[in-house]
Amino acid sequence: MITRSNFPLSKYAYGHLIGARATASSLREQVEVALAQGQEIVFDFSGVDATQSFIDELIGVLILSNGPEILDRLVFKSCSDNARAVIEFVAADRCDQFVKIHSH
Amino acid sequence: MEATADVVVNASRLCFVDPFGMALLGATFHTIRNQGRSVQICGLSAEMGGYLERMDVFEGIELVDCAPMPMQRHNRGDSLVELTRLGARRDVDEASFRLAHAVVGHIPGINPDEPPDEMTGYTAFERLVEPVQYALNELLENALTHAKGHGFPDACVWVASQYYPRKGMIQLAVVDDGCGFLASLRNHPALRRESHIDAIFTALMPRISCNRDLGLSSESVNQGVGLTTTFRIAEQAGGRLVIASGDAIHDTVGRSYQLTEDNFWQGVAVAMECRRDRLPDIRFRDLLPPLDAQPVRRLRFE
Ligand SMILES: Nc1ncnc2c1ncn2[C@@H]1O[C@H](COP(=O)(O)OP(=O)(O)O)[C@@H](O)[C@H]1O
Ligand SMILES: [Mg+2]
Repeated sequence: MITRSNFPLSKYAYGHLIGARATASSLREQVEVALAQGQEIVFDFSGVDATQSFIDELIGVLILSNGPEILDRLVFKSCSDNARAVIEFVAADRCDQFVKIHSH
Repeated sequence: MEATADVVVNASRLCFVDPFGMALLGATFHTIRNQGRSVQICGLSAEMGGYLERMDVFEGIELVDCAPMPMQRHNRGDSLVELTRLGARRDVDEASFRLAHAVVGHIPGINPDEPPDEMTGYTAFERLVEPVQYALNELLENALTHAKGHGFPDACVWVASQYYPRKGMIQLAVVDDGCGFLASLRNHPALRRESHIDAIFTALMPRISCNRDLGLSSESVNQGVGLTTTFRIAEQAGGRLVIASGDAIHDTVGRSYQLTEDNFWQGVAVAMECRRDRLPDIRFRDLLPPLDAQPVRRLRFE
């Protein structure tokens, strides 16, 4: 069975928003360790929204470095409409970019 | 203004300064002092002096023939936010939160301490704060990353803001003394002409970034939608952005023009205006540019 690694995001929020890229890059390093161990990642968005910069630094960069397949191993839990909109935008945009780069 | 001389400012006719002016003044005074020159301000009215003093605009500045008076706080409630200077990326999150809170301030009929809505987990106050915090996050992040490139490692950013109760408008100003849009985007294929005004227009376009396509060898990647999103927040809240960089100014609901000779802003200066009552209606989905392509992968939401 694939084990799941849970990342509650609310502790990184100021008020309800997680904003800065720098916050995401340190978090991504922990995510990369768990991914390398074969785990699935659960991002728990309970009570938080995130900027596009934050989501891009966390998920956009994972897509650019591993390809869109990485999304099969990421779970987005308890997202608000706002968080979901940003995740969908970043994922689609970076997948599209990845495919274009690698089709040349 | 000779670059070696001390500076004397005659402020006897100064009767109004908005946050944009305040941030530009703060940044200018800082530059002059860093060049080892002193700044003197004379003839300032007691009211203006008291106001600017309260806003911390006069750090290290000598006031001559002026009588600053302490501002009466209750005049403007807690919508007053002092001029703030930041120099490091790690401060972006905290500063955006604190400043957004401060400027949204006290709204009659809305209690910041009320219990949150059970469905959303947000209070009415938090709904007002979030779009402002979002915009500040993007603008400060830009000023503490892009602005420090191309030979400006010590660039700083100044933030000022004010709520104008009679108009119901919030104004935020984020001003840096860094490299400016043109230096950052000079080699970008989307830049049609090598001018400051074209660089402003280019930066506002979605998916334009100085390092969107560099790949992972560079220190970081960007997506190029931060300014677009910030502009949409202002627009959806019935407001606008005014952006100055180099010899150009662009007003998103007005005109754009080149400044006359000798007038030049080294860096990027952004003022954002929005109606406070429109902020709670903003949805992130409406801020992001449309997607070029269908998602290639199903996302796993739980
Ligand atoms: N304060 C600034 N100083 C210099 N260049 C800037 C500044 N803000 C933005 N830019 C330029 O405009 C581009 C677009 O900004 P933005 O829309 O926020 O996208 P991103 O930050 O994701 O690249 C940046 O990539 C950069 O080249
Ligand atoms: Mg940006």
